[in-house]
Amino acid sequence: MKRHPKALPLHVAISGAVAVAVTVTWAVTGGGYFWPGWILLVLAYLLLQHGMLWRWRNRPADFFLQLDWVLVNGAFLFVAAFVMVPLGGDGMVIRGVIYGALFGGPIGLVAWLLQARFSSRGAKQLEERIGELTRTRRGALDVQADELRRIERDIHDGAQARLVALSMQLGRAEEDLEDQPEAAQLVRQARGQASAAIAELRALARGIAPPVLADRGLAAAVEALAAYSATPVDVEAGVDRRLPLVIESAAYFVVAESLTNVAKHADGATAQVSLRLRDDALMVEVADNGPGGADPDGGGLSGMRRRVEALDGSLILVSAAGQGTTVQAELPCE
Amino acid sequence: MRVVIAEDHALLREGIVAVLRENQIDVVAQAEDADGLLRIISGHKPDLAIVDVRLPPTFTDEGVRAAIEARERHPEVGILILSQYVEPIYTAELLAGGQSGIGYLLKGRVGDVPEFLDAVRRVADGGTALDREVVSELMQTRSKADDEPLDALTPREREVLALMAEGRTNAAIAEAMVVTPGAVEKHISHIFSKLDLSASDDDHRRVLAVLTFLRANGEARD
Repeated sequence: MKRHPKALPLHVAISGAVAVAVTVTWAVTGGGYFWPGWILLVLAYLLLQHGMLWRWRNRPADFFLQLDWVLVNGAFLFVAAFVMVPLGGDGMVIRGVIYGALFGGPIGLVAWLLQARFSSRGAKQLEERIGELTRTRRGALDVQADELRRIERDIHDGAQARLVALSMQLGRAEEDLEDQPEAAQLVRQARGQASAAIAELRALARGIAPPVLADRGLAAAVEALAAYSATPVDVEAGVDRRLPLVIESAAYFVVAESLTNVAKHADGATAQVSLRLRDDALMVEVADNGPGGADPDGGGLSGMRRRVEALDGSLILVSAAGQGTTVQAELPCE
Repeated sequence: MRVVIAEDHALLREGIVAVLRENQIDVVAQAEDADGLLRIISGHKPDLAIVDVRLPPTFTDEGVRAAIEARERHPEVGILILSQYVEPIYTAELLAGGQSGIGYLLKGRVGDVPEFLDAVRRVADGGTALDREVVSELMQTRSKADDEPLDALTPREREVLALMAEGRTNAAIAEAMVVTPGAVEKHISHIFSKLDLSASDDDHRRVLAVLTFLRANGEARD
């Protein structure tokens, strides 16, 4: 629901101006029965509605909101009736009750119905908005995963391939320079530089989007990770199909980070990695028998948590001192 | 020696062809994709196929898949895989059949012409040539997992076996480890006996030892 930020102050100002105008008019025309009281009542009632709308704009539209609405309206009209009656003359208790019932009842009821309609419309809009945000966020992450893959390919087919071709040409030049050892030495050094650049690009590209992940899927990539990890790792990979790239990347990232942490902080420990696919979510677990006591806000862990939460997943860390460390991530995948 | 090449990147294909031709190796055919590779292997029956891991249309691991298929149809053709990445998982897959004549090198190694030519000749002759980075990753894996046949080896013997897997000769292993060739021979005979390789043909035992080493790795992944 769109609201102008200045709507309520403007409403108050206009109401004030009208109230002053009618009161002045009443005074100028000789006083007597205070008829502007009725106008003031209506103005106050409208202001009250506007005020409640503003005050409760973020409350869920449930039974209690409607109850509050009715109670406030009823109280207002009941008090208003008692204020109006003395201005009108005698029999104030009886007339107060009659006015209170006459105004309070129907107006409260109408207000309740209006409110129920507005708030359910608001809730529906909120729901639609959340759905839209979830979709677009997921879309953005999918695009990002594809982009990273594209960058990896660009490096592979572009700069890396050119450097490899350069290294081949330098190698051939080196062969031709057999009879000029000094020149051959220079060329050999240049080839060494090219090889170092190739190695750096290789590490970079592998970090951006591990080729084995895209080629062979999560289970194979995690097994490769485990195989090259500095710690002995047992893998139980219960994933027999390809998942969206963004989910696979996040799961791979969690396993890679966790195994890096094991190697860094739990020297001599062994680790167990398990991947399980449920109907609606991928469960990733990395457990070690190291010293435990991991910092939940450490750089590695908070990075993992951000990445998992961006996919509406959750990450749990269990790491009591002396009990080893377990990282569990749940990644929803429809 | 007759060689075919499957590489989709023109610059690299031309580079490899130039290196080979300048060294009197006959490049009989070239392909740009997996189907082309299978066709030229069937058509030319080369001694060796040099294959890029990534080939069209999906640019993932078609090269490895095509090489495995070519292996099944023509077991006598040596396969030398070139890649820009170290992925021992592909080597393990290629070796799953238990044959020799398999190589896996990083593309950057082609620039080291003598080493590259050495690998080309070795694989064409039925030997192995594994990139030293692949071997070092495999060794790192092996040193911590429990593989029964390899468990019996001492660290020194593992080192020798790793160098054998790269395809080095006894003299080259001796040089790399700064020991005498006699010491290397002793290590190798220990490796053979610990791996139960008592066959008479020394070259074949060498290949089998390396295969044991690599297969242990392949099984660890299954």
